[in-house]
Amino acid sequence: MEFKLEAHRIVSISLGKIYNSRVQRGGIKLHKNLLVSLVLRSARQVYLSDPCPGLYLAGHPGAPALPQQPGESVAGPPAGWGEPPPPAACAAWPEPEPQLELPAVPEVPRAGDAEPAASVTGAGDTLQGGEAEAAEAAWRRVEGPRETAVGGSDVFPQGLGAARRPCGFPPGDEDKMSASPRVDGCCAPRPAGPEPPVPPPVCPRKRGAEGVGGGPADFPAPGSTPLKKPRRNSEEQPGGAAAAAAQEEEEMETGNVANLISIFGSSFSGLLRKSPGGGREEAEGEESGPEAAEPGQICCDKPVLRDINPWSTAIVAF
Amino acid sequence: MTTFRKHSSSSFNFAVHLSLTTQSRSMLVCQGPGIGSVTHKPTWALGARTKKWLLADVISTVEFSHSGDLLATGDKGGRVVIFQREQENKSRPHSRGEYNVYSTFQSHEPEFDYLKSLEIEEKINKIRWLPQQSAAHFLLSTNDKTIKLWKISERDKRAEGYNLKDEDGRLRDPFRITALRVPILKPMDLMVEASPRRIFANAHTYHINSISVNSDHETYLSADDLRINLWHLEITDRSFNIVDIKPANMEELTEVITAAEFHPHQCNVLVYSSSKGTIRLCDMRSSALCDQHSKFFEEPEDPSSRSFFSEIISSVSDVKFSHSGRYMMTRDYLSVKVWDLNMESRPVETHQVHEYLRSKLCSLYENDCIFDKFECCWNGSDRSTYSCAWQCSHLGSTWPGAGEGSHSRVWSSGPGGRLRPCSAIMTGSYNNFFRMFDRTTWRDVTLEASRENSKPRASLKPRRVCAGGKRKKDEVSVDSLDFSKKILHTAWHPAENIIAVAATNNLYIFQDKAN
Repeated sequence: MEFKLEAHRIVSISLGKIYNSRVQRGGIKLHKNLLVSLVLRSARQVYLSDPCPGLYLAGHPGAPALPQQPGESVAGPPAGWGEPPPPAACAAWPEPEPQLELPAVPEVPRAGDAEPAASVTGAGDTLQGGEAEAAEAAWRRVEGPRETAVGGSDVFPQGLGAARRPCGFPPGDEDKMSASPRVDGCCAPRPAGPEPPVPPPVCPRKRGAEGVGGGPADFPAPGSTPLKKPRRNSEEQPGGAAAAAAQEEEEMETGNVANLISIFGSSFSGLLRKSPGGGREEAEGEESGPEAAEPGQICCDKPVLRDINPWSTAIVAF
Repeated sequence: MTTFRKHSSSSFNFAVHLSLTTQSRSMLVCQGPGIGSVTHKPTWALGARTKKWLLADVISTVEFSHSGDLLATGDKGGRVVIFQREQENKSRPHSRGEYNVYSTFQSHEPEFDYLKSLEIEEKINKIRWLPQQSAAHFLLSTNDKTIKLWKISERDKRAEGYNLKDEDGRLRDPFRITALRVPILKPMDLMVEASPRRIFANAHTYHINSISVNSDHETYLSADDLRINLWHLEITDRSFNIVDIKPANMEELTEVITAAEFHPHQCNVLVYSSSKGTIRLCDMRSSALCDQHSKFFEEPEDPSSRSFFSEIISSVSDVKFSHSGRYMMTRDYLSVKVWDLNMESRPVETHQVHEYLRSKLCSLYENDCIFDKFECCWNGSDRSTYSCAWQCSHLGSTWPGAGEGSHSRVWSSGPGGRLRPCSAIMTGSYNNFFRMFDRTTWRDVTLEASRENSKPRASLKPRRVCAGGKRKKDEVSVDSLDFSKKILHTAWHPAENIIAVAATNNLYIFQDKAN
């Protein structure tokens, strides 16, 4: 679990660095960004290799994401470096990761403190779902009042693609979580208790559009990491979930990529082609624009590729 | 000599620094290129006062000339300051060997790349001297994109007695000239002029990290993140690309070039290090494009020490050939490794610089310190000799450690002392510490470059860092290290035991006290 937390934290820090490298004097330093991307990849691997407890931690709002779920591995020690995630459920994880990272970027500046992530993670980190929670929680935190309605410590059904992160974050709009309101709205439908997967397929997507928060309800994870977005992604993973969830996640992911790309701005000329499914979130209408991704297209790129995408595009762009 | 161990019987004696000469650069007056001498006032207090331009004064490179009489420093503001060693002077015996400012000029200015909308920093990344072939001195200085060849010359005479113009420079009326005279040279105040002789631009897409003058004294290489170019010193509009590791698809990029250097004696051999911790040796005779290495140096990774940051800390930040050309030294984040060119499988020596930082890598990653690029250097020629402490006893000197100032040192020419070739390497660390490793006796020492601890003529006291557990007196605990005070650039005189240490915006010059 600690590894997951650590990985989380490192991911958020790394994204912040990449984001800040845009504005530093002298242009983007290829060497440094390459190293940061390697760290990101390592952290991601650790994330993935952590046994994913099927459910995310059901935190009550304010409760440190203690994973209540039967999560198997809440306490399970992380699989370690690069080990293939043991449970199949975890396998379904792949996509969210990248997204996780990407969206974080805008958040990072806002968040400012990476530490909270650590604390947050503690709670649900081990669980993918938990992650989502954490992310959600973080998201909320940043956004504003936590949604108590969501409350729920209920376990998110794994299949729930809720975790999806609001793709729509306006790229440069770190500070503003326009999604907030949406989040609430999004969450609203989620019942506090064990939530029915309501329309899982729909929900996530919506959430994505909202961009924020919708996330798997409850997330109370107070400690959420500052990276909201990333957390969200992690949530996406709720367990192996259904393919649908996975699919949704994938979409989400692309959306995140798109976000990141938009964040990096015009320097990424070749980015568009890399961002699959960017158009997902049209609801927000935010970044999707630039990405112009094929809407609804599920990016089937391998997670690795996806992960690399933003970086490589960044590298290429500069 | 300062001792490096607390025990007085230490035989490790680095014959280094007995007297401290400190120059504060924050007070330097910078004049335009080509202008002569600069007034310089070494004072202690200036740095603190002029906080607002301290940033531009951060020293970014230090290099001794081939004779050691000149020491060049480059800073983040694009300026180059050259120090010259005082000649021996009977009237001021103590001033021998002190370095004073010789010339200052603005080498590079900030530029703007309109195509990419990027600003090009004027920070001087490297300075390399050319071997001296005439009265003038030549050096290459580079920023991220452009290399410049500077000529530094002295003028201490001027002609007087022209026929067509008088002393003020006004033209004389030819009708008034009644007699002709031959102009004579009269001495004048020494003026040092620096003028740019060549500008090698537009050859690098990525940031230049190294330049290296070849032993043929006609060519040099410049290396950026993905390519190495070979230049001729006389030709500025063309360069040859000899190494190109840019992948066809940038998404497959996995490593970049971090440093490159020519072999000191074989003009066809060069090495370059990568961010993956590998070093490749290339022979330019084998092919025009040296993408295929001739030798590949890599140490197998220790799987037990794997962490998130393994890749970052294994990235090589500097590579230097030994003077003999038989060995090379690489610096990664936590250690210095010495390689035998004949053995590619692993280094022959590994010296830990600050192993106590291994547990703090995450914090160092957060504050970006893990990306610091430390340099390393060899001591003067391998032939230079200086004895170890135990040899001093033959001269009747006191043992090292007996007290401040009571150090002795045996020069190679000293009578009664046995001479031993001593090979040493030096590199920097945090908290203004720098480390020296004696390869012969396998001893090492940590010294500090700071104003508080160093008064002129005082000896440097060895420092210790306490990694954990009980902290002994005089030890510095790891948590109290100041990571903003880092020594990235050091240089060693090519023949004598004089070192230059750049601590942020201050330059410290340590040398042996002449007995």
